[in-house]
Amino acid sequence: MTTDTTASRVHFENVSKFYGDVLGVNRVNLSIPPGITGLVGPNGSGKTTLMNMMVGLIQPSRGRISVLGITPGQPEELFRKVGYASQYDAFPPGLTGYQFIESYLRVHGFSAREAEAMAWKAIERVGLVEPAKRKVAGYSKGMRQRIRLAQALAHEPAVMVLDEPLNGLDPMARAEAIDLFRELADGGLHVIVSSHILHEVDLISDQVVLINGGYIVAEGDIGDVRDEMEEEHPVQVLVRCDRPSLLASKVFEQDHVVEARILDKGQGLLVRTRDADKFHLVLNDIVMETGIAVEAVAPADADVNAVYQYLIGSNGGKL
Amino acid sequence: MSDLTATTVPGARAGLPWGQWWSQLRAIVRLELRKGFRRSFGLLLLALMPPFIAAMHMIKAVRDTSDIAGATQVFAGLIYQAFTLRIVIFLACVLIFGNLIRRETLDRSLHYYFLSPVRRELLVVAKYVTGLIVSFGLFGTTTVLAFVLTYLPYDSTAVSQFLFHGPGLGHLASYLLVTFLACLGYGAVFLFFGFFFKSPAMPALVVFGWEGIHFLLPPLLKEISVIHYLQSLCPVPVSEGPLAMLSDAPAPWVSIVGLCALAVVLVAVSAWKIRRMEITYEEA
Ligand SMILES: Nc1ncnc2c1ncn2[C@@H]1O[C@H](COP(=O)(O)OP(=O)(O)O)[C@@H](O)[C@H]1O
Ligand SMILES: [Mg+2]
Repeated sequence: MTTDTTASRVHFENVSKFYGDVLGVNRVNLSIPPGITGLVGPNGSGKTTLMNMMVGLIQPSRGRISVLGITPGQPEELFRKVGYASQYDAFPPGLTGYQFIESYLRVHGFSAREAEAMAWKAIERVGLVEPAKRKVAGYSKGMRQRIRLAQALAHEPAVMVLDEPLNGLDPMARAEAIDLFRELADGGLHVIVSSHILHEVDLISDQVVLINGGYIVAEGDIGDVRDEMEEEHPVQVLVRCDRPSLLASKVFEQDHVVEARILDKGQGLLVRTRDADKFHLVLNDIVMETGIAVEAVAPADADVNAVYQYLIGSNGGKL
Repeated sequence: MSDLTATTVPGARAGLPWGQWWSQLRAIVRLELRKGFRRSFGLLLLALMPPFIAAMHMIKAVRDTSDIAGATQVFAGLIYQAFTLRIVIFLACVLIFGNLIRRETLDRSLHYYFLSPVRRELLVVAKYVTGLIVSFGLFGTTTVLAFVLTYLPYDSTAVSQFLFHGPGLGHLASYLLVTFLACLGYGAVFLFFGFFFKSPAMPALVVFGWEGIHFLLPPLLKEISVIHYLQSLCPVPVSEGPLAMLSDAPAPWVSIVGLCALAVVLVAVSAWKIRRMEITYEEA
């Protein structure tokens, strides 16, 4: 690779991380360009591990990482360029939202006046001006999520790393956060956003990285990834319900459904579909229409398809 | 959009960015003071104890208000060395310095520092400096207060004679120096142990025991204790009882340089440890 791309990308080169004997991530190779990148995988798949390594909170057991050409071992350079909102929903005690942002800007080395201006600008961006003078301890989950977002972007970094930033936001705040990511990305930033729900980030991402069990399963343009996975491997979905034959007749009307098989004991239906997202939508409609009692919907394969199904399934995130 | 950043980016002058480090150190100290020590009732209680003992002694002193020499002995032995130095300042250092890093792993906020463009070594130094400011601020005051209370009930002309024409103020200055060096030394010890033990209680107990039996130790072993050097700087010698192993007290400059060197080494090792520290918050 040229130094040119190194200087504008986030690079993982054969990176592995073991926590003792526990695998965090294995043999990760990534080169992330600017724009919004969705890092998607179920809980425990290694998203936080990857992100924490990117910013030096933990060190890789093997391999190399660089962010815009800077290694995580150079905090003085790295954190002028990088803002990180971790998944830890924790704050230094006793501070107001404003003090929280302002204090760490001072730690950056900004003067009192600069820090004040930048803190208010960041607080405004996440829409927390009104509660900014109150103690963070009294914030709602969504407010805490947003004040951490403000903390990550207050020093105007070129790379934003956000670990599950949409978690705990109500739909309104979520839409605002997404608009903010878009705005930042359009300004040429890297915005790397993790989520355990694919459909939460797929529409806003310029590229996605799918991770499962510590391995990168797929990466690239979201459309390509989705097409490739679905064209080649219809996914199986197991639906536990009453009246499976009624459900089977209904789902067969859908052209993305390849197969629908009633389970031996009649306690459910096994569906193969090329478009799991659409299937889930249709399933909802059918349930509304017929009143079929659905007990559970789950991916049925043990392989990569199942993972992908899990990832894209509209129920995937509800653990 | 990063024009603000540009104004403060280090390295405008050649060499190390001392100006940058200095302002970061001040910012960390400010933040630490803001969030860490405002409601430490334990510390306040500890700080109030020596003046309290001194006040108790006042009651006894009323009987003979001319015995300044007796008061000096009581302050030197009971109030300062036995109580303030060996118990109060010691425990305070465990509380303050043992928790500098630990408290933040427990409340899961250490990563905010690790995500700032600050050298981790600087973070350790700044936290240590905060500990020094808090501990010396508190226990320097305590030392002065206890000193004043001890002599308060005595005949005022005799006391002013002792203070301004005798060794009195010199004593106080020495006690303040010892208090400062105690914070420096014990502070560094417990900052250091914070990187090797999950809880400061165990190492604190061991060090407490070691420092406690110090007077029984042979000369060579005495030299590996903090109290040995602090004691030698105390202005009024105190008898350690019939079991004590006698040894030559180190020269004052040896004690001062020795304690400073100990602090530098322990803080340096801590700074080296924190470079490899990982944020998992798992074992917390
Ligand atoms: N501190 C740790 N100690 C041991 N195992 C860990 C630790 N942190 C993460 N893991 C393990 O590493 C794997 C990846 O975890 P993580 O990166 O937190 O996943 P995600 O963020 O996608 O939920 C999981 O199996 C998890 O149990
Ligand atoms: Mg995670």
